[in-house]
Amino acid sequence: MTTIAVPLGAQAEQHEAEVVRRPALSEYLRWSVDHKIIGVQYGVAAFLFFIVGGAMAMGIRLELWTPELDLMASGAAYNSLFTMHGTIMIFLFIIPMWAAFGNFVVPLQLGAKDMAFPWLNAFAFWLIPPAAIVVLLGYFVTPAEAGWTSYPPLSTLFSGDGQTLWALGAHLLGISSIMGSINFIVTILNMRPPQMTIWRMPLLCWAVLATSIIAVMATPFLAGALTLLLLDRVAGTTFFNAAGGGDVLLWQNIFWFYSHPAVYIMVLPGMGVLSEVLSIHCRKPVFGYRMVGLSSMGIAFVGFTVWAHHMFTSLQPELRIPFMITTMIIAVPTGIKMFSWLGTVWGGKMRFTSALLFGLGFMSMFVIGGITGVMLAALPFDIHVHDTYFVVSHFHFVLFGGSVFAIYAALYHWFPKVTGRMMNERLGRIHFAFTYFGFLFTFFPMHIVGMLGMPRRVAVYDPNFTDWNQVISFSAFVLGFSTFIVVYNVIHSYFRGPVAGANPWRALTLEWATTSPPPVTNFAEDPIPFEDPYGYGTEASAAYLDAVDAAFDAEPPATDNS
Amino acid sequence: MTSYVDRQEKAKFGSDRDAEMRLKNNRLGMTIFQASWIMVFLALIVVNWQLRFSYAQWPPAGVAPFDPLLPSAATLALLLSAVLARRGWQGLRLGNSALFLMSWRLAMALGLVFMAIIALEFAAVSEAALATQYGITMRLMTGFHLAHALAILAVMLRVYRNGARGSYSGDPRDSWPVEGTVKLWYFVTVAWLLFYAVLYWIR
Repeated sequence: MTTIAVPLGAQAEQHEAEVVRRPALSEYLRWSVDHKIIGVQYGVAAFLFFIVGGAMAMGIRLELWTPELDLMASGAAYNSLFTMHGTIMIFLFIIPMWAAFGNFVVPLQLGAKDMAFPWLNAFAFWLIPPAAIVVLLGYFVTPAEAGWTSYPPLSTLFSGDGQTLWALGAHLLGISSIMGSINFIVTILNMRPPQMTIWRMPLLCWAVLATSIIAVMATPFLAGALTLLLLDRVAGTTFFNAAGGGDVLLWQNIFWFYSHPAVYIMVLPGMGVLSEVLSIHCRKPVFGYRMVGLSSMGIAFVGFTVWAHHMFTSLQPELRIPFMITTMIIAVPTGIKMFSWLGTVWGGKMRFTSALLFGLGFMSMFVIGGITGVMLAALPFDIHVHDTYFVVSHFHFVLFGGSVFAIYAALYHWFPKVTGRMMNERLGRIHFAFTYFGFLFTFFPMHIVGMLGMPRRVAVYDPNFTDWNQVISFSAFVLGFSTFIVVYNVIHSYFRGPVAGANPWRALTLEWATTSPPPVTNFAEDPIPFEDPYGYGTEASAAYLDAVDAAFDAEPPATDNS
Repeated sequence: MTSYVDRQEKAKFGSDRDAEMRLKNNRLGMTIFQASWIMVFLALIVVNWQLRFSYAQWPPAGVAPFDPLLPSAATLALLLSAVLARRGWQGLRLGNSALFLMSWRLAMALGLVFMAIIALEFAAVSEAALATQYGITMRLMTGFHLAHALAILAVMLRVYRNGARGSYSGDPRDSWPVEGTVKLWYFVTVAWLLFYAVLYWIR
């Protein structure tokens, strides 16, 4: 069986070359151009913002425990709280978190030494802390109150300096995102090894490529919109003020032309993670690899044609039907992915690791978010539930049930590669149970109160909704508590976790064909990828995986579970 | 010229093959940057276009349309400047560093002429026009473009000074700053042509 030629390049001798040490913790606090350091910097920073944004969500739910104002002094205080919650979660948590995994994993999967532009990479990261400070400072002056979408005239005529700081910070974050994405595209297109054609590229790279194309083409529109907003606020122009010949819908058009594609920026990398995690932990090839890669591109391109569905109630009526149709069309490439995941899992040798559990959690939750998305795309229904908790429920199913579950799956999956230690699987399962049920009972009942007519973005609501809101708030606190489990697990495993070895999951992609953590140049010499990144279950792949284990001094597995 | 960037990257990317790869990356990165950042200019064109619908006619009643004569001269100067910058780059590729420096000087001078005329136009928007979006979007677009032109002209100046010290050779791997700056200057030119058409000709 081992007579099959194993393409490993010079990796076979690597373990003799050097003993790889983990970077000292202080290296993460300094300027570094190493993509692995930058990946961890992005990840830790984003996770800290997740905790801040999560604490704000707890405040929101505490306020909504009763129908009256109790925690907040006024509705305005509540407005600024959910504004910061949304802004932090979107701009400071999810988008940088995907940059974290993209940075750490993509160059490794491509067998590259680093990103294409290491300096630009570091610069893109170091824009985030000052931007975050600017945004957060805004909360302590006269806070922004217009929601993360910042519709004028709320964001121009009716809010204070916090809104200006918000716009400045978002501007910086947009520029950071553009620079990071240029880097990803160039890295993925130029730095693959010669044996890796684009059709043999791991699906995470496909997803990051699609995401980056969206980011470079859409984020400039955010820059344009924020420039106008800042000018209206500080330079006395009237772009969004009808009294001066402006148009409030102008903001909605330009902002959503960025922000609808941006929701795919937030979820596409998660879809890529899912293809990796499901295939590796179910020991099966990805079902319909090519179509999954192409569907990422499909989502990227169709994503640019649907923005006005956010404006169904303010749009010219004759434009509603076309946008309703394009919005429904985008469910097709998303459906392709969903069926690919089902086909991948089906009949697989599933190992119920924490990563796989979160992967399956993603599938079950994202499909609900996807279906409510199609419901909202239907114009008659959308007008009925417009601006109710149904919408809140929908986008949390997509962004928490989708993106955050995928982030957790990615964390459990790649933590051994990043730190060289395994995470605690028992704690991982407990974390999954709390997150899954906490999430489900927080957000599913919101569909119901939404359909019954409870508006979003209000601190005071009809007392008839009290019972449901208490169920939601209680579950939200469970969900909030679950975060502490994973924080403890990460810290504990970093110091005390079992040593991982090069390839603990016996995976075929290149990031596992080097030590954990990888050395500074990632590979001893240019690695040669296995012919099929997801070709599990063949003799050749078993031989390859045994050779990887042998190369890095690992014990061969007791049973054949290639 | 050993910049900070080069020193940081030298540890990882030392060999000839890596220099080749870096040039390839720089070229693709520049293309993507151009495709990306032109979207901001397109966003401002969308702004101009959507705000036209707030008015019954464009330019609004009582506002004199901008005279395209001087801006047309500026556009010509910018186009010529882009051609000269390209000629300088080609001169450098052929090893003719005198041609490079002379073309580059002329390109910068014509760039300055362009900027001076547009700045004049920016300043000369009438009170009547400024009371409407016709004048405000004009200032928005020309001002936004001028900021970019100024920044890239500063890069051209720096490249010129390095070139005068003989920092670049005919090998494209050694003269990326020149190539990159020429491409940024093309970007300024294309962005202006879009704005020029929208501001002065499409009514």
